[in-house]
Amino acid sequence: MGNWTTLETDVLVVGGGVAGTMAAIPALEAGLKVVICEKGKVLDHCGSVGCGVDHYLTVMDTGPEWDTPEFLIKHVPELTDGIVDMAVASRVIHEMPRIFRKIESFGVDFKDRKTGTYYRLRSFGLPGTYHINFDGTDFKKHLGERVRKGKATVLMRTMVVQLLTQDNRAYGAFAFDFRTGEWYAIRAKAVVLAAGDVNRISRNASGLAFDSWHFPYNTGDAQAMGYRAGAALANMESVEATLTPKGFSTQGLNALVSLGAYFVNKSGERFMFRYDTKGENARRAVLADAVINEYLLGNGPIYLDCRHLPQEMLDRMERTLQVDRYTLPAFYQQKGVNFREELVEISISELSIRRSGVYFRGSGLAVDTNGETSVAGLFAAGDCATVSGGIAGAAVLGHIAGEGVVRRVRGTVGLLPEIDAKAVESVRARAKNHLERREGIGWKQFEDETRRTVTDHVGVRRTDKGLRLALQTLQALAKREPQLKADDLHGLMRVHESVNIRLNAEIMASASLARKETRTGSAHWRLDYPKTDDEHWRKFVIVERGKDGPAVRTLSTDRPLSDAFARDAAVA
Amino acid sequence: MAEAKVHNPIEINPETCVKCNLCDWICPGDLIYKEEDNRETLPEIVYPDECWYCGLCQSICPTNAINIVFPGQMVHNQTNVVDLLGKVVE
Repeated sequence: MGNWTTLETDVLVVGGGVAGTMAAIPALEAGLKVVICEKGKVLDHCGSVGCGVDHYLTVMDTGPEWDTPEFLIKHVPELTDGIVDMAVASRVIHEMPRIFRKIESFGVDFKDRKTGTYYRLRSFGLPGTYHINFDGTDFKKHLGERVRKGKATVLMRTMVVQLLTQDNRAYGAFAFDFRTGEWYAIRAKAVVLAAGDVNRISRNASGLAFDSWHFPYNTGDAQAMGYRAGAALANMESVEATLTPKGFSTQGLNALVSLGAYFVNKSGERFMFRYDTKGENARRAVLADAVINEYLLGNGPIYLDCRHLPQEMLDRMERTLQVDRYTLPAFYQQKGVNFREELVEISISELSIRRSGVYFRGSGLAVDTNGETSVAGLFAAGDCATVSGGIAGAAVLGHIAGEGVVRRVRGTVGLLPEIDAKAVESVRARAKNHLERREGIGWKQFEDETRRTVTDHVGVRRTDKGLRLALQTLQALAKREPQLKADDLHGLMRVHESVNIRLNAEIMASASLARKETRTGSAHWRLDYPKTDDEHWRKFVIVERGKDGPAVRTLSTDRPLSDAFARDAAVA
Repeated sequence: MAEAKVHNPIEINPETCVKCNLCDWICPGDLIYKEEDNRETLPEIVYPDECWYCGLCQSICPTNAINIVFPGQMVHNQTNVVDLLGKVVE
């Protein structure tokens, strides 16, 4: 079972991606002790943009009205179909220029190498050219370097499996190194959850669980642990799918679309304008939605068409094709398709629980304007939090949470609770059970069952009956968790992930059942309530741990989510 | 039903591999295991079906000894997309 090590720190950060490193930076600058736990091996290349990224969304405050925080904030309600925490979203947008400059100061070059200027594009339905198209191959490396220079303790190949809380106050977590078997009990004055979105939760075209658009090693660990610790989650009913080259669930297609590629159906018809006046420049959710509808109308296969574009643009596309996913050129080559001259067949990806294709409305742990959840001392940022927006959203809310942590740590007086010996024993016994068990269920089979259920009944087309059926199946599956077997320490890590994925699916199904309307197209499409009902549903669906599973309540979107927090104002 | 042979997405050329550890070090999914401080042993792809096809191992390999190979179900995919869009129970 390996050894136990106890660590004392000011701040524990769960996840070393963009949000986690950006949260660590202000804490390190303030001279705090920081421990980061990360399932990957190298801070410079871990998280969902460890391989690189090609766009960054920001307001820059360069002069024109559209480039001011106020202008973008004004458009947030329409961008999110009215379901957004305006207090948190406004703070994030206000901080965008400052954090952008700070990241530049770390050495990230956002400028176009050829022209020496920012190449800013209008995409995803945003009301201005907020997206900087850039070569972000080394983006994450610069953040990683910054954290290493700040002398954080970084525990790699280490998974956090349980938070420690007392009286609705977080004071640390248990984690284990799945290479060495070393266990850690970490006591911290504040904990930042930054473990990303939820993937491996539904099926895709290839049928390969790890062939996912988003990072398949992000398995909703933060959402699941936060939920078990009593934190409130919101927007969990909203799912996100994207368009991918058929057979490879990769990002990279949207970049081509924002550079001028078209979608056409099997008749060669350019159909996007039937769905949105912005055509291919519509929000990502609208793009996915339109393609889903075309497939359901029998107009598939759907193709990506770049043939009309000038050579110069095709060259730019070819140059940047591998930035979002290094292997995309190899895929096209092995498939034998040349996107410059041929149509590329596209598919809908598997689902993620993330930010449902819109900016500033995340699905995950509800946070206040300091990034703190409903559990005191427990912060969240990035794709596991309720305000999310790609890497920029992760960077900005991450930094806000990092600054919130500094205030929280400085305000912490007295001793933290002792680590509960009974909890240690129970975590140890659970792990021993999975590792020593000969008979039982493998995590792959367990996960397949979750994916099948979600795809059939919780995914794109939802009904009351289907969702109830899914909840039954998912709850029955939970009862089999003690029978999960792990072949080795790596398998034990996957067992924990599978359990987290199932819990997220159950939370998603519960929230979807509650929202009796359709909103943002296929992000939450109820066949039995096909209309958007603004009169009754300008509300957040909040999910928390109840006595017998997920408990659901609602809150008007006129109010910030933190109004629903039971957190004692005196502690805050 | 017998399990089909697991496709290996990460082909390592034993002739050019310098057995340096970088692929193990960079893999975000903990798939590649290389015995440390042993310049005789090759890296092993222990969990091939958990590959994201990100190519980080290929991109970092100092001798270009790694080739990413996509399986048939990815390059010649025959799935009906409508099957991914749910079953309707009313």
